[in-house]
Amino acid sequence: MIDLSHLTKVYGDTAVVDDVNMHVEAGTITVIVGTSGSGKSTLLRMVNRLVEPTKGRILVQGRDVLKMPAYELRRSIGYAIQSHGLFPHWTVARNIATVPMLLGWDRKKVAARVEELMELFQLDHAQFAGRYPHELSGGQQQRVGVARAMAAKPALLLMDEPFGALDPIIRGKAQADLKAIQRRTGTTILLVTHDMDEAIHLGDRIAVMDAGQLKQYAPAADILARPADAFVDDLIGTADRPFHYLTLGTLGSAVEPGEADGAPLAASASLYEGLGALLWSGRKAAPVIGDDGAPLGRVSLSGITDRAAQPR
Amino acid sequence: MTTLADAATDGAATPRIDRLGVVIAILMAVALALPFVTFRATRIAAGNGLRLFDALPPTAAAAVGAVLIAALVTAVANRRPSLRLALGALALVALALGAGAAGTHLTPADSPYARIAPGSGFWVGLFAGAILMTDAMVRLKLGPVGRLIALAVTVALVAGLLASGAWSHLSLIAEYRSRADVFWREAINHVILAGGSLAAAVVIGLPLGVVAYQLRAIRDPLINVLNIIQTIPSMALFGILIAPLGWVAANVPGAHAIGIRGIGTAPAFLALFLYSLLPMVANTVVGLNGVSRAVVDAARGMGLTVFQRLLQVEMPLALPVVLTGIRIVLVQNIGLATVAALIGGGGFGVFLFQGLGQTATDLILLGALPPVALAFAAAVVLDAAIEISGRGKA
Amino acid sequence: MIRPGLLLRLVVFTALIAFLAMPDRFAGLLAPLTDNGAPAIYNQGSLVSLTLSHLFTVALATSAATIVAVGLAIFVTRPAGAEFLALSRAAVNIGQTFPPVAVLALSVPAMGFGEGPTRLALFLYGLLPIFENSLVGLSTLPPAVVESASAMGMTGRQRLLKVELPLAMPLIIEGIRLSAVIGLATATIGSTVAAKGLGEVIVAGLQSNNLAFVVQGGVITGILAVLISDGFQILARRTSKRRGASPQASRPATDGQQAPV
Repeated sequence: MIDLSHLTKVYGDTAVVDDVNMHVEAGTITVIVGTSGSGKSTLLRMVNRLVEPTKGRILVQGRDVLKMPAYELRRSIGYAIQSHGLFPHWTVARNIATVPMLLGWDRKKVAARVEELMELFQLDHAQFAGRYPHELSGGQQQRVGVARAMAAKPALLLMDEPFGALDPIIRGKAQADLKAIQRRTGTTILLVTHDMDEAIHLGDRIAVMDAGQLKQYAPAADILARPADAFVDDLIGTADRPFHYLTLGTLGSAVEPGEADGAPLAASASLYEGLGALLWSGRKAAPVIGDDGAPLGRVSLSGITDRAAQPR
Repeated sequence: MTTLADAATDGAATPRIDRLGVVIAILMAVALALPFVTFRATRIAAGNGLRLFDALPPTAAAAVGAVLIAALVTAVANRRPSLRLALGALALVALALGAGAAGTHLTPADSPYARIAPGSGFWVGLFAGAILMTDAMVRLKLGPVGRLIALAVTVALVAGLLASGAWSHLSLIAEYRSRADVFWREAINHVILAGGSLAAAVVIGLPLGVVAYQLRAIRDPLINVLNIIQTIPSMALFGILIAPLGWVAANVPGAHAIGIRGIGTAPAFLALFLYSLLPMVANTVVGLNGVSRAVVDAARGMGLTVFQRLLQVEMPLALPVVLTGIRIVLVQNIGLATVAALIGGGGFGVFLFQGLGQTATDLILLGALPPVALAFAAAVVLDAAIEISGRGKA
Repeated sequence: MIRPGLLLRLVVFTALIAFLAMPDRFAGLLAPLTDNGAPAIYNQGSLVSLTLSHLFTVALATSAATIVAVGLAIFVTRPAGAEFLALSRAAVNIGQTFPPVAVLALSVPAMGFGEGPTRLALFLYGLLPIFENSLVGLSTLPPAVVESASAMGMTGRQRLLKVELPLAMPLIIEGIRLSAVIGLATATIGSTVAAKGLGEVIVAGLQSNNLAFVVQGGVITGILAVLISDGFQILARRTSKRRGASPQASRPATDGQQAPV
């Protein structure tokens, strides 16, 4: 989907992005994570040319983005940011319709698309379509921002700290919703965050950046198991690592034959959730059921904790 | 984190032609081509334009021309602000000395009525030099003290030129000389009108602002009324006030004795005072409103009384905004006091309106330039004061 | 129910129209201000036509100033005009220390007497508040919004027309309001350089010591200024209401605010 080769951005004497090479698979969520000033936003913003690269090449779907008009490129790529950037003088519906209108879709098609998206993002059309952004809550504004970014069905969606302005409870839900929507639409997402939890939770692959350089680019499990260097190690946080690791696997992967007492746990729940449930109910093991409710076996405390150890 | 603005300035690194410099250079070239001075046989006769080399002896003309061309070249070819500032200043000095010298050179010994005035070339050159200097000063990011020094130097230079007699053959100075006594009397009138009404507005407006800040109920109506007063044209307000003041003068014992009349200084002073109230009251309210809640709470928590809080915490923090109000009032009043002459209030407007009545350009300038200079100087001084008072409070 | 403020405006407006339409009916009201049987109502020209030419002068100058000033503000906020931005800010600050009456007087040597210098002075001085407000409006837009517009694929022109100008509109209108109010006042003084306008009535009253003239000229111009200023304020409030916050609220007076002339 995206191919970055030798991508470099220099301001003055500093290389904010320094010779980055990266390939992003279509249909996946790739998260770029790093501290502030690591160059992660600049990297993202070069993909839709909000920042012009100093050197290097960017291919999106095989096309060299530097060789097409910037506005045309941007209409084909979705873009959502932390402070949502909704147009304050336009209604929710008009905001969502921005890119389709720029592309000259006909009115009926635009209206239908707006309704579809509002439903997808759980915004009641009758209630919200005519409202102005300042009349919405933070979580609603954020959803409108993402809906607007996806309005013209872009194959690629760029997101810069999209959940940064939300409080923790709403953020968790927004992340889960985004993941679900992505699975349904198959949109390729390139997302920037400074939050390792968010990266592990959302990312099929994670790119860790520091001082303009791409330190490690691998699936989340690999990053946790084999951090490339001290910086990546530090970013993950030693104490949290086993727990991060547990969020990646499901209880289904830890099922062992046998029976246990008490309320059953769902096989689709994460190992982390399973561990929590066991600890809280004071059990050593619990029964596991599938999506259809059929008993699959049991999970044990030791079975889960074994999976929290660093793989060798 | 980079912004779009950063991206936009990326291109500035590549050397490009300085378009502002080109504009200044064109203006300078136009200035050189236009008449440097105008010669009139009498005070109100039609003028006759003379170019630089017709107006000055060859060496002097060449010197002035050389400085202007140097400034022109610098504007296009050199981006160093300090050099541009120096050349701009030099161009202004050359123009000032050149105009004075032209006056001396051209005044015939046998014709005392002849008038030599700076011509369009002089004014365009002055404008171009001033832009060059202003742009350089903006780019140098001159601090408040630097700007005050620049103002002081300018005032000293102009005063020196006036005292040295270098300009004594220019028509504006001739116009001044023939009415020097009246000029200074009206100058004092002007300052009293503008400054006195400001003082009154501070004495009344500040407490009124504090009260309006404390009492929400009167704030909006008060500011609305003051807003409406601000909107009324000065000539209208001067005129409207004549009637009630005339009545007061005639019917209130002692009013006439302390100088209250229907026309003259009283209605002018009252009008300027009324105009001044809005900036004073509104800026006091906004300044006090802008004091951070946490600071006020802390002061309260430490047991300061309402008055201690106001005097020791809130007012000092609101000072820059209040000073901005004073700046607005002073600049505004210096301008408005000029109009007061229409109702017999005196001030520089006396010359300005006389000049308009006689179509005497020099007299118009004599009435118009001093308030412009005064207002400008007041703005520079108060802007510096605002900046200094605001330091460390942001 | 009609709000009292609106009612008051309607009453004042109606009274103004009535006075202009049949001034002689009001002669009795103004007569006490005259001495020795002098006329109470201005008799050297029609008040209606003076009012109209006064308004026409202001409208002409303010429209021209609006077009030029907004155009300039757009220019200096584009990359192409960035070199002029710093200077233009300084120029507006300096320009606004010039008293409008001085600008008017200095236009006379350049243009002679009559409508010309008044229109020139009104135009020149009217540029300043509109330019300043447009500049503030266009350069203080929320960065996230402007960036979003680009990121959505708007061209520079689309961004300007669909996003930047609409968002800056309340401030631009406020600038036009200031310009119009200053223009109305300066046009009044313009009567001293023989421009046709309501200042004539005041000047005539001052010269012939006829207080009735002075008061009626003053009251008409005063009411016109207040009503026109009001109208612009309502317009500005309308354009900013949707956005939740009104940009005018609790803004301190700055140099651009000085209105009386």
